[in-house]
Amino acid sequence: METNHTSPRYGMVIDVDRCTGCGNCMVACAVENNVPPADPKATERTGTTWMRVSKLENGLPFPENRSVYLPVSCQQCDHHTPCVSVCPQNAVEYDTESGIVAQIPVRCFGCRYCVTACPYHARYYNWWDPVWPEGMEKTLNPDVSTRMRGVVEKCNFCHGRLQAARAKAAAEGRRTIADAEYVPACGESCPTHAIHFGNLSDPNSDVSMLSKDKRAFRLLEELGTEPKVYFLSEQDWVHAIVKNKISTELKGHGNG
Amino acid sequence: MDKQLISRGTSRTPLPRFMLWILPWVAMLGIGLYAIFLCLSKGLNQTNMDNRFSFGLWIYLDLTVIALGAGAFFTGFLLYILKRKELKAVINSAVTIGFICYSGAVAVLAVDVGQPLRAWFTFWHPNVHSMLAEVTFCITCYLIVLIIEYIPVVLKNRRIKNVPSMLVFEFELHKLMVVLAAVGTFLSFFHQGSLGGLYGVLVGRPFAFRPALGIWPTTFFLFIISAAAVGPSFILLTTWLTSKISRKQLVKPEVLQDLGKISGSILIFYIILKTVDTIFWINSVHALGFSPAGFFRIQEFGTWILFLEIVVLGLVPAILLLSNRVRQNTTLLVLSATLACAGIVLNRYVMTIQTLALPTLPFDQFLSYSPSWQEVATFLAVIAYGMLVYSFSFRYLTLFPQEREIQSV
Amino acid sequence: MLSLVFAYAWSTGNIIFLGAFFTIVAIIVATLVTTTLRTLRALRANAAEAIRWKSDFHDMPSSSRTCRHVFTGEFERRVCNNEFNCNGCEQHALLLAQQNAAAMPVNAQMNPGFALPLDRLYSRGHTWTKQNTDGTYVIGVDDFAARLIGTPSAIDLPAIGTRLSINGSAWNFKKGETSVRMLSPLEGEVVETSDGAQGWYLRVQPLSADVKTGHLLRGAEVGPWIQREFDRLQNYLADPKIGLTLPDGGMPVRDFTAEFPEKDWDAIYSTLLLEP
Repeated sequence: METNHTSPRYGMVIDVDRCTGCGNCMVACAVENNVPPADPKATERTGTTWMRVSKLENGLPFPENRSVYLPVSCQQCDHHTPCVSVCPQNAVEYDTESGIVAQIPVRCFGCRYCVTACPYHARYYNWWDPVWPEGMEKTLNPDVSTRMRGVVEKCNFCHGRLQAARAKAAAEGRRTIADAEYVPACGESCPTHAIHFGNLSDPNSDVSMLSKDKRAFRLLEELGTEPKVYFLSEQDWVHAIVKNKISTELKGHGNG
Repeated sequence: MDKQLISRGTSRTPLPRFMLWILPWVAMLGIGLYAIFLCLSKGLNQTNMDNRFSFGLWIYLDLTVIALGAGAFFTGFLLYILKRKELKAVINSAVTIGFICYSGAVAVLAVDVGQPLRAWFTFWHPNVHSMLAEVTFCITCYLIVLIIEYIPVVLKNRRIKNVPSMLVFEFELHKLMVVLAAVGTFLSFFHQGSLGGLYGVLVGRPFAFRPALGIWPTTFFLFIISAAAVGPSFILLTTWLTSKISRKQLVKPEVLQDLGKISGSILIFYIILKTVDTIFWINSVHALGFSPAGFFRIQEFGTWILFLEIVVLGLVPAILLLSNRVRQNTTLLVLSATLACAGIVLNRYVMTIQTLALPTLPFDQFLSYSPSWQEVATFLAVIAYGMLVYSFSFRYLTLFPQEREIQSV
Repeated sequence: MLSLVFAYAWSTGNIIFLGAFFTIVAIIVATLVTTTLRTLRALRANAAEAIRWKSDFHDMPSSSRTCRHVFTGEFERRVCNNEFNCNGCEQHALLLAQQNAAAMPVNAQMNPGFALPLDRLYSRGHTWTKQNTDGTYVIGVDDFAARLIGTPSAIDLPAIGTRLSINGSAWNFKKGETSVRMLSPLEGEVVETSDGAQGWYLRVQPLSADVKTGHLLRGAEVGPWIQREFDRLQNYLADPKIGLTLPDGGMPVRDFTAEFPEKDWDAIYSTLLLEP
């Protein structure tokens, strides 16, 4: 995907040392994006969680044991985006105006090729019909459309909020929006301010500077897909785990 | 009435015995159709697939039957384009098998996708960079070609050909068969390839990812060649099996030997390329900073699987099939063809299931998946459907033109 | 499409991909349309019977397609690929010119006991034709077919005015559960039909003055031909466990079908009377 550097390229920097693993981002995300309550039969692998918090441990015995929480959503790959090129009917698009990889559920016919293509497991298929309990439909966010059974969805950096911010700016006669005007629900809701969000194309932005920090790392950087979600940690063991290449640290056989 | 539908000069088992034979397949198809109904009405929560293992038994089945069904295009290509006349003895059977494989695969795909009614979107706004768009286009077209190629076989039925318009249509269609064979070959090359490309382009899956030669990853070419290699073997195998079950000699022994020879010569070529590709893959994965051995850490998918695929089920049958003496021994010939087919069945399994089972994130774990009964029943329904179509075709149509001549001598 | 499709661009990829796809669709459609048009044309031109013969001929085993010049001993083995259309066969014309130089003696010895008078012409499907004084031709079945079928259970004759084509269907015999089509030896319009009591079934009026009969067997060819046909029949009738036994020298039976009821007569008629 070619990147237009005059347009904003939205990105996220997550400070894992600050993350307490409270899961507030997951809840805020689900509420913002009209993710239906999970079916009673749904499992960790069939439920929909655009933002998913994983726990990493250093594996040492007490008192040296340490753990961090890693909130993983769509990493918004900027280059050779694995899911964009595979979709047969253009239901995944890279938006050159924002750098956001957008899923268009109404075009999706549920082949799940993109789910297979994504190395971050950030894509979710709707295995069940979405059902909101009586009365709960009043909590639905009118800015985000709901999805039907049989299509794929994923994090889009709360694209609805971007649209709203743009509309507001346009109404006020402005052509651009300030960083503070557009923050995804996860970043907004994080009680420890672990999630930073902004324009990576702007060298002076918060995220731009943090992404160049020596504490910063990205997941599966070596695949060359240029994800726009960065993580920060001062702890060497965290860097060691994520630098461990795929499948070389298999601990055994189990249901991941 | 039944007798009047069976080709002249060929004898078939009495109708009650035939009914007894198809009964289990009908039952199997019935259960499968119920499973399909469940999947379509309740959704894919009826399967054991999930967001991590998003392709399962069905995609594996599709890849396999399409590879084995390649006998139809390749035999057609050899007969109509390269004028290998001896293959006329099996072309009708090959077309029937191709038709069964492709229609079965398309039917399962329609269940596998979440919103089958939206499949037309691919034709309306295709993403030309997607291998799956290429697959969809080619398979749809090729299925139409196969239906048109199968029609003459049906129209040649003893009763149907008595109707003048049917007879003339068959005759005229047959005259243009070379056009369809050419189109079929072109389409087959592309979709067999794009099925390989399906995995080869997965930049997020280093186990499957392959560098591009031109615009296609190397798996594109490997899938074409491997499908061409086992297609004739599968025709050999089905012909032999039909012959055993019906207790009739259907083709002259030279025909099976020819099929084996064709299969062997392409298979050896494929195995060389596959070996080269594997070596390049090890190097490129290494260059990315991964440990190639890491992909084979899990015992279920250890290096033994690579050895089994390339040597035991690749090199061995290729060498066997290339030997004149082996080919003259029917048991060995059939065994070698079975090994060759098993090699491709394993290759498609590795490409689909191992690719998905291997972790991608550093803190991921190896994933397991076992299909639900609905998935298995749907899988078996395709097999039952194939058995039924083939059984009826064998009974009432001329699948092996040589059969009659052999019987009358 | 295209302009109707949201965000469609005339990029190289789109043009190549969709171009290839629609070319293939066009080829498939063109093939079907051509076939349909040709079918309609052939049906209108009454070519169905000629096509049936062509189609059947190619489905016949090579043992049923022996060239007539094998009977005269000019070839050891030769398979016809020309639908028994000797009228248009170069090789036949060439050999005929040589034969005229040394007329072959009629070898009655070769005939294994069938009554095949040489005053008529025989088709490869065991029908014969003979010209009447009024210019019409009568068509009947030869002694071989008559004995093969015996007494048919039904005869399905064409309507008066039906146009017959060379080696097209003339009429059908039913025998028990099976039926067999008899081939017309020549082209013409049916002017009279008969139940075979006088030895013939059809009387036809040729369509043109130039009646094509060059493909029909005659004279010296008839004996060896019928010997070969009899051998083929005996192949079927031989006990599979004992194999082929030498003919006992007696006369062929009057009704083979009735004599060997356990045999697959459907297959035997199909092979010997050329209806695969």
